[in-house]
Amino acid sequence: MSSTKVILIGGGLAGLMAAIRVAELGHSVDLFSVVPVRRSHSVCAQGGINAAKNLKGEGDSTWQHFDDTVYGGDFLQNQPLVKGMCEAAPGIIDLLDRMGVTFNRTPEGLLDFRRFGGTLYHRTAFAGATTGQQLLYALDEQVRRFESEGKVRKLESWMFLSAVLDDAGVCRGVSAVSLRSGEVRTFPSDAVIVATGGIGAIFRQSTNSVACTGSAQSALFQQGVHYANPEMIQVHPTAIPGEDKCRLISESVRGEGGRVWVPKAAGDGRDPRTIPDAERFYFLEEWYPKYGNLVPRDVATRAIHKVVYELGLGIDGKNMVYLDVTHLPREMLTRKLGGVLEIYEKFVGLDPRDHPMKVFPAQHYTMGGIWVNNENQATNVPGIFAAGECEYQYHGANRLGANSLLSCLYGGMLAGPAAVKYAQSIAKSAESVSSAVYEREQKRQEEIYDRLRSQQGEENPISLWKEMGETMTQHATVIRYNKDLQAADAKLAELQDRYHRINLADTGRWGNQSLHFTRELGNMLVLARLIVQAAALRDESRGAHYKPDFPDRDDEHWLRTTRAEYDNGSFKFQFDPVDTSLIPPRKRSYTSS
Amino acid sequence: MAEAKTILVRVKRQAGPQDTPQWEEFSIRWRPNMNVIACLIDIAENPVTSDGRKTTPVSYEANCLEEVCGACAMVINGHSRQACSALVDHLEQPIRLEPMSKFPLVRDLVVDRQRMFNDAKRMRCWVPIDGTYAIGPGPRIAPERQEVAYALSRCIFCGNCLEVCPKVNEHGDFVGAAIVNQVRLFNMHPTGAMHAHERLRAVRGPGGIQECDNAQNCVKACPKGIPLTESNNDVNRQALLDSILGWMFH
Amino acid sequence: MSAKTVATAEIPPEAAVVPAAVPDRSYFWDKIHSLTGIIPIGAFLVEHFWSNSYALVSADLYNRQSSDLQTIPWRVPVEALLIWIPLLYHGFYGIYIWSRGKANISRYSYGANWMYVMQRWTGLVAFVFIGWHVYVERFLTQGRSNYFDVAATLSHPLYLSFYVIGILAVSFHFGNGLWQFSNKWGLAVGAHAQRKAAWVAGAIGVLFAVVGLLIVCAFVFHWQPFQFYAQ
Repeated sequence: MSSTKVILIGGGLAGLMAAIRVAELGHSVDLFSVVPVRRSHSVCAQGGINAAKNLKGEGDSTWQHFDDTVYGGDFLQNQPLVKGMCEAAPGIIDLLDRMGVTFNRTPEGLLDFRRFGGTLYHRTAFAGATTGQQLLYALDEQVRRFESEGKVRKLESWMFLSAVLDDAGVCRGVSAVSLRSGEVRTFPSDAVIVATGGIGAIFRQSTNSVACTGSAQSALFQQGVHYANPEMIQVHPTAIPGEDKCRLISESVRGEGGRVWVPKAAGDGRDPRTIPDAERFYFLEEWYPKYGNLVPRDVATRAIHKVVYELGLGIDGKNMVYLDVTHLPREMLTRKLGGVLEIYEKFVGLDPRDHPMKVFPAQHYTMGGIWVNNENQATNVPGIFAAGECEYQYHGANRLGANSLLSCLYGGMLAGPAAVKYAQSIAKSAESVSSAVYEREQKRQEEIYDRLRSQQGEENPISLWKEMGETMTQHATVIRYNKDLQAADAKLAELQDRYHRINLADTGRWGNQSLHFTRELGNMLVLARLIVQAAALRDESRGAHYKPDFPDRDDEHWLRTTRAEYDNGSFKFQFDPVDTSLIPPRKRSYTSS
Repeated sequence: MAEAKTILVRVKRQAGPQDTPQWEEFSIRWRPNMNVIACLIDIAENPVTSDGRKTTPVSYEANCLEEVCGACAMVINGHSRQACSALVDHLEQPIRLEPMSKFPLVRDLVVDRQRMFNDAKRMRCWVPIDGTYAIGPGPRIAPERQEVAYALSRCIFCGNCLEVCPKVNEHGDFVGAAIVNQVRLFNMHPTGAMHAHERLRAVRGPGGIQECDNAQNCVKACPKGIPLTESNNDVNRQALLDSILGWMFH
Repeated sequence: MSAKTVATAEIPPEAAVVPAAVPDRSYFWDKIHSLTGIIPIGAFLVEHFWSNSYALVSADLYNRQSSDLQTIPWRVPVEALLIWIPLLYHGFYGIYIWSRGKANISRYSYGANWMYVMQRWTGLVAFVFIGWHVYVERFLTQGRSNYFDVAATLSHPLYLSFYVIGILAVSFHFGNGLWQFSNKWGLAVGAHAQRKAAWVAGAIGVLFAVVGLLIVCAFVFHWQPFQFYAQ
């Protein structure tokens, strides 16, 4: 068996897991990442990772985990691989444990598990308040070990630009740009795994990291890779709005008695502590007397959205509501919520024990993504595989808490060996592909950069990005109306037009971040339009996708995967049936669970 | 409302490793809860200095913006720290931004901290596992031990501990407190401990623990509150025992 | 595999094996440096302060003690092995260590960072002082200077201040050095242990400074508070 080289795009959990699997099989890896891989967005995951290990005598099972996942996703997943993931989960936890992840322990020295949203079982293994960070570090260290053995080469501060496709449409490598020198190069390989994460930057008001732009997914989509369920976007109800990013405030704050409210009078500018109870609008408690502040995420999110956008009652007329714990005993707050409240204190500079927190929903996760098959994470383009948040496989219309880390690892575990197997099976390898194919792609990419550098006009990339984010956050997150979605699409089309009049203040090559950001912005705009167009088409409410004009799930017409194909600037949609062969769809209702 | 408040930000600019640095001042409109990153985004949107001269956007590193990725370390008002958690309202103005000085400069506020990752390789900072196959659970670990290990393993490789260390500079190649701490972390793990000797040999190598002279700025600069001096002294003890035992019995 | 790449572009290095680091001599020499500060230099310092304390009893006892020390067997090799060589090594290697650091107290003015800087300067002062002291007392006078010779020297304000500064520098360097030793040899690991070690080391430093200054007083003021022992 000869050794082959696999190219990996993205060094988060999924990418690192795939890299480990490829290297373990004795093959070499080129690992591309825009940031040093240890700084990938996976570090932001806090809560934990699900695995039905049933260590608490509750009778939990992988089937139950599978059922919860499908139910949480509102039955939009193709079920076989979801089942595979849930069955693999206990083994994955063991693997992480062996790698040295600092999981919390029971007095007996075994892994501890906590309860999480969407389930009745203690199924979530966790490492303090930074589980994602601890998982990513364990994988990063394993990859570093392979690196020191000469099996992995990291190309950090290199940004993926495109796949190199030969005349038959087969992937033969990638083109990428050095974020340092600005030079474009092509890299031959027989198989490419994309693991580039979420697309939060498109919404600006996001909990995602700076690098989560979706640029790679978009570039591939424009080259013919299919994209599925783009409209499925998860929004978290309580995040600290920030100029630069939104930071999560965990649900546990409401679990311990935190109350959500706004002043009854629009634009009431008083210090919140001086506003008497009678002049406060505890809208969750009024609208949902049974669950109060503890309604599920999507309901809370929609309510806040309504208060701010429809009733115009946001604090100071801004997109914010109060999450208030000042009425709770300080000692209890510190003991039970210390870690969470610290985040607010650190980034807002106010002690939430004294000042009501100002929060707002923020885009959090991308359920949709690159279309992959039902077996091994392969896309429709031969030679391209995808794993992690950038693909659509595991979460349907809504992701269950603590399932994201698991899906990244499982996807990576499948994609690595699948890419190797594919590379070894093809008759003609990249070695024998004409160099003209690579030169052609390199030229194409350099021309795009040259065009951006020489463009004239009055537009600024940051301003366009902010406008895109505002449009997307307002019309394509929590509550969706077809009329607004169409208006948003028109606005995005206008932004695409103005994009060509961006005048870069810096046209140099060395370390020119605004140049590369502008490059990504062009790709973000394409994905943004894809999201609003797909959302406009799906006339039902399912999971995170909610249309007041179509408030119910409509399995008859819409138990379908949205699958989009790029067609010269516009999109072709097809709607595939969903494989629900294992668990037949049933109504999803939080009141009965 | 009174007239809009402004923030003055001075940035030490340097176009590339070979260029001479120069300071530029920017005037930014104040908003509530701004951090240094928000200022840098503003500058990117309107790259004009406070005296009205057009310039280029400032290059800087950032990713998670919640102090878990380590990317945005820089020297702010003379102190090395993360820019995301540097709140404008808590900083003296004008706010002075400089790149870290102990790492090769790329451009403006961007430096290359690759040496930390390379040193992690030389010091064998990982738990060597047999493979990713299903071969059962890991070793049992007491909760108290997990708590210690967790505190150590929150290191974000930001490099602040290297930046503030008098022994990290162009004359020496001290690996810094972060890497020494990693050696302690992996020597603590039951599987990692099986290979402690290799790590303890490595940490006595070039730039090893012998370079530390206990100025102890590292522990003050660590944004994650890692007990770096404890780690250092612990590894000192382990390395010494390892070397003496090795000298006596091998 | 790289035939398809364009030669003009920045070429990322190919994957390469990175071996584990292996011990080098600097670890050994550094440990020797820190050890010599305690044994024999620190031990000799204890002995030296002890024998000079006879000046607090009486001039006669001091002179007898002084001449006793001139008559120890194997005097030159013992002095060389226990004093001169360790002292020269500790001093010059210390300067080498100093040259590899770059102080930054102007930016980071924390306690331990001040100690780091003070350790270097007091080390230098101590080295110069001890060098001069050894030159004068051991070589110039062949170790035969008695109580009254020393008292005469200390009657010069210049020599007196040199002695006072020297004694303070030596005491600080020794006390802080003990704390450094407890860190460098992993004797005090936890935060509590480090703090306790700091108290003990600090107390020892202060003790040496006080005793040293009292000895100076014995010469300057002809002050023998323990004289009644000899009566």
